[in-house]
Amino acid sequence: MNISYQWLKDYIEFDFTPEQLQDKLTFAGIEVEQVTKLGKELEQIKIAKIIEREKHPNADKLSICKVDDGTDIKQVVCGAPNCDAGKLVAYAPIGTKFPEFTIKKAKLRGVVSFGMLCSEKELGLSDNHDGIMELSEDAPIGKDLAAYYDFKDTVYEVEITPNRPDLLGLTGVARDLSALLNTNLKLPRISFKESEKETNSFLKIDNQNPEKCLRYTARIITDIKVKESPEWLKRRLMASEINTINNVVDITNFVLMETGHPLHAFDYDKVSGHEIIIRNAKKGEKLLALNDKEYILDEHDLVIADAEKPIALAGIIGGKNSCVDSNTKNIVIESANFLYSTVRKTSRRLKIFTDAGYNFERGMSSEQTRIASDRAAQLLLENVGGSLLKNILDNYPVKEEKAKIKIRTERVEKILSVKIPAEKIAEYMTALGLELIEKTDKDLTFLAPYNRKDLTREIDLIEEIIRLYGYNNIPSKKEHKPIMDRKKFYLKRNIKDYLVNNGFNEVINWSFGNPEDVEKLKLNFADKDFVKIKNPMWSTFSIMRPSLIPDLMKNAEHNINHNQKNVKIFELAKCFNLSDKGIEEDYFCTGLLIGDQADIYWKDKTGKVNFYDVKGLVIGLLEIAKYGKLTLETSKDEIYIPGVNANIILNKQKIGSFGEIDPKIAEQYSIKESAFIFEININKMMEFGRIKKIKFKEIPKAPFVNRDLSFIVPNSYSVGELTSCMLGINRNLIRDVILFDEYKGKGISDGFRSLSFNLTIGTGTKNLTDENLNNLFDKIIKELKKKFQIEMR
Amino acid sequence: MKKRLDEIVEEAITALNTFEDHHDLMNLKSRFVGKKSELMGFMKKLGSLPKEERPIFGQTINNAKNKILDKFNEIEEKLKNLEYEKKIASNKVDFSMPGRPPLRGNLHPLTQIWREIEDIFISMGFEVAEGFDIEDEFHNFDALNTPKDHPSRNLADTFYIGNDRLLRTQTSTVQIRVMENFEPPIKIISPGRCYRNDKPDASHSPAFHQVEALVVGEGVTFADLRDTLNGFVVKMFGSKIRSRFRPHFFPFTEPSAEIDIACVNCGGKGCNVCKHSGWLEMGGAGMVDPNVLDNLGIDSEKYTGFAFGLGIDRITMLKYNIPDIRLLFENDLRFLKQFK
Ligand SMILES: [Zn+2]
Repeated sequence: MNISYQWLKDYIEFDFTPEQLQDKLTFAGIEVEQVTKLGKELEQIKIAKIIEREKHPNADKLSICKVDDGTDIKQVVCGAPNCDAGKLVAYAPIGTKFPEFTIKKAKLRGVVSFGMLCSEKELGLSDNHDGIMELSEDAPIGKDLAAYYDFKDTVYEVEITPNRPDLLGLTGVARDLSALLNTNLKLPRISFKESEKETNSFLKIDNQNPEKCLRYTARIITDIKVKESPEWLKRRLMASEINTINNVVDITNFVLMETGHPLHAFDYDKVSGHEIIIRNAKKGEKLLALNDKEYILDEHDLVIADAEKPIALAGIIGGKNSCVDSNTKNIVIESANFLYSTVRKTSRRLKIFTDAGYNFERGMSSEQTRIASDRAAQLLLENVGGSLLKNILDNYPVKEEKAKIKIRTERVEKILSVKIPAEKIAEYMTALGLELIEKTDKDLTFLAPYNRKDLTREIDLIEEIIRLYGYNNIPSKKEHKPIMDRKKFYLKRNIKDYLVNNGFNEVINWSFGNPEDVEKLKLNFADKDFVKIKNPMWSTFSIMRPSLIPDLMKNAEHNINHNQKNVKIFELAKCFNLSDKGIEEDYFCTGLLIGDQADIYWKDKTGKVNFYDVKGLVIGLLEIAKYGKLTLETSKDEIYIPGVNANIILNKQKIGSFGEIDPKIAEQYSIKESAFIFEININKMMEFGRIKKIKFKEIPKAPFVNRDLSFIVPNSYSVGELTSCMLGINRNLIRDVILFDEYKGKGISDGFRSLSFNLTIGTGTKNLTDENLNNLFDKIIKELKKKFQIEMR
Repeated sequence: MKKRLDEIVEEAITALNTFEDHHDLMNLKSRFVGKKSELMGFMKKLGSLPKEERPIFGQTINNAKNKILDKFNEIEEKLKNLEYEKKIASNKVDFSMPGRPPLRGNLHPLTQIWREIEDIFISMGFEVAEGFDIEDEFHNFDALNTPKDHPSRNLADTFYIGNDRLLRTQTSTVQIRVMENFEPPIKIISPGRCYRNDKPDASHSPAFHQVEALVVGEGVTFADLRDTLNGFVVKMFGSKIRSRFRPHFFPFTEPSAEIDIACVNCGGKGCNVCKHSGWLEMGGAGMVDPNVLDNLGIDSEKYTGFAFGLGIDRITMLKYNIPDIRLLFENDLRFLKQFK
């Protein structure tokens, strides 16, 4: 539905800006999907008077006009036949911006034109493009059209939830807003005169299906004149994106927008037998509808018929055979209520989706039919003329009843957690149109308005209370303060899972330690004291362990002594160290690897674990923890073989290390093969690591290509240096550089090695030519030769 | 000539029926319908025939050619199918041969049960809280209502670090710290390592693992305690395992109870595991003593609470039928790899 800001203002007092109103609608529960500003173009258009018209010397169809725009006389070349001197017209000066073009000074067949005289179509006011727009004689010269027509408006396209059909009319929206904003409602006053002739001597109603037609009213207005609607009416409908047709149809649509209740007008003289029968259609009966489509009906469809034939599909669409046209003299105004399910079934089956059908499907109130009919009668008499016959015809088989709802004040507090006094509840409910009928010290009883079918239970009223009170005004009770350190909890789990899924077995050792082990392993606790146990069970358990390495070495020794060749174990547990802050209980994750990379497999030979296995593992571990880039430095820890180790650095802080255990140390634990360990302080990792922000990147439209590059290079240069040099040559083109081979030995001089890299290259947006690639590689090779003295293989 | 054509067709079909392989087939094709074939020779001679006879003869030659080609296509199709079947047959696997072993170790059995316990309680709305292994006497004893002269404070029972620090003997210390720092409602479990100066044997270990639960809030009752514990036992051991409460004494709770569950080994009939009683001791429980709450600044008139403690090692041993607690800390791969 489209709600016009200006139109809504007819029914409610407020001085909010359109932007503020949008906010208010949202918090009333009316979702605004789109906002359109009207009149922006019309503001630029001025009312001007043509004071002189001359024929164009070089073109038959063009005229040269002199127009007075209130401040100046301008020369405008115009192609319309009706640009006669003396007329008041819509003048678009130079600089006027239309959605598709801007008016500039132009030469038309040799004559300069300063602006344009506009047609109604060009201004978006109607489809009329026969000539330029003509304004009435009293229009003020110089005034802009938006101001003249009062056409500045904001239109909200809103979504009305299915439980609130009352909001399908502007008065319903106004009612809700007035309750919410505590402002006055300005419902239209309805009054009109009826003539002496009785309606029932001109028309009969026969409701043959009172279960589906809940109420049917009809009025007759005679001697009307069908013509174009007045400006104000057209403007209102246009703002709501409703087509204007003629004054009669437009008024029924106006009332639909105002009340939400659909009406229909028949040409009285086309109603055969002057009789209206509401009945089920006969199978195979046909109706040519107002949309020029013919529908074949069946007995489930409810029709409005005259003595001979169907003249409308009840609540959905009228028939062509009874429609109001320019010759119509007398009309029947139908205001009725039909069962929502009947309307739904028929409109689904026949695929006819009209505003009327939409509203009826959501359930209208029978009581509203009379209000809508009265309002239509008043507006028709005022704007179309004619005379209204006396006494409305009203077939109303079962009178609708108002829902009676009791609300306990205590219950309100129980649900909302705020105490709302009974007086306040009554005030809210009255503002929404409910009627207080009974009051005790514990509860209030209300009658709900007919058009609020959604209000039937106590809880429905509580919902209304909180809506008016404001969802966000409910004070918070107690925010949950998390006790659990979820981040750490799941990080520990994820790390364990990661290691297990990389072939590690988890071990668990007691937390006791022995200073002799620390020494034996040359662990680096030089200037630190240990956390000593005053009454140890055994002297070999005299301290709380400062590292997990001793226990893992012993676990390895135990297993090797029991003939287990491959040992891949880890422990994630607390270590205890003294610092200036006192005792620190940090979690460490420490792993040990000896033997084969993988289990025996008949198809492939497996290799022995090596330094790079451990490096990959450590990087993966930091990746699953989502910590950004780590850097490596040579470690001075004496447990490692010099040159086969690294410290793990996160944001300049050491969080751990890895490397190959010095064989002299390993030997003492019966370890004869190469053994590797890694050790990470989880607490430090969380302290110094910064969690990466992951953001989606567009998937490249053009595929990347891969090319290999092999060369011989002195050992003094690292793969890291070479890689970053290559990446740096063109970061927008070179996406990745991966080493895939290293070779030393036969054919390569001492002090050199051969390296092979795979480069991923692409712009992501367009394909590269061979020439592009060759140029790039020439550049890369040149750079590598210069910096690293490489030699191509 | 018509006769000769029929002969050629006959010859070709016979030859095609006795082909040997694909190469053979291609040779036959060029021999019978190739550019230099006799059939094509006839085609070339067409021009020398009288005009009105040409269409008829052309038609006849074409028919012969098509007959041969049809046969050829049929044979080629057959050959393709044969080759396909051969390939399928040779690709047949012996699925009893080992698949590539994935790189997969496993979690320590204690960790597996630990996680299961945590997840059961998390699903019941508990948070998991952690504390220090090295505690002070206040949090380990005083705040828990333990009298100054209580035997558990002895050096023979508790490991001390210096004079005023000790290794926690139960994770109730975490509950005290949570109550010090957070207001009710509180709903936590605190799993963790505890220490007691016990000489290791089949059922004792100087370091062991406990999970304790604490719930403090308005209207928390003994029924909530029993429902929570029963809920846990059923999720952990299965719906058939009953549990019972026996009156007992703990300084921290009042009323206090010991929790038994029906023997998971014999189902309550009596066996070695349950020492023929049909019941297994699972831990202690009770309503938090009002004194404990008041001492921590929690209004014991407004709030009530319950607590219980269970042994993680014990549950692990029961679940996996592990007879000796020391096996858990020996870290023998032949033991650890059983829990995959
Ligand atoms: Zn038993």
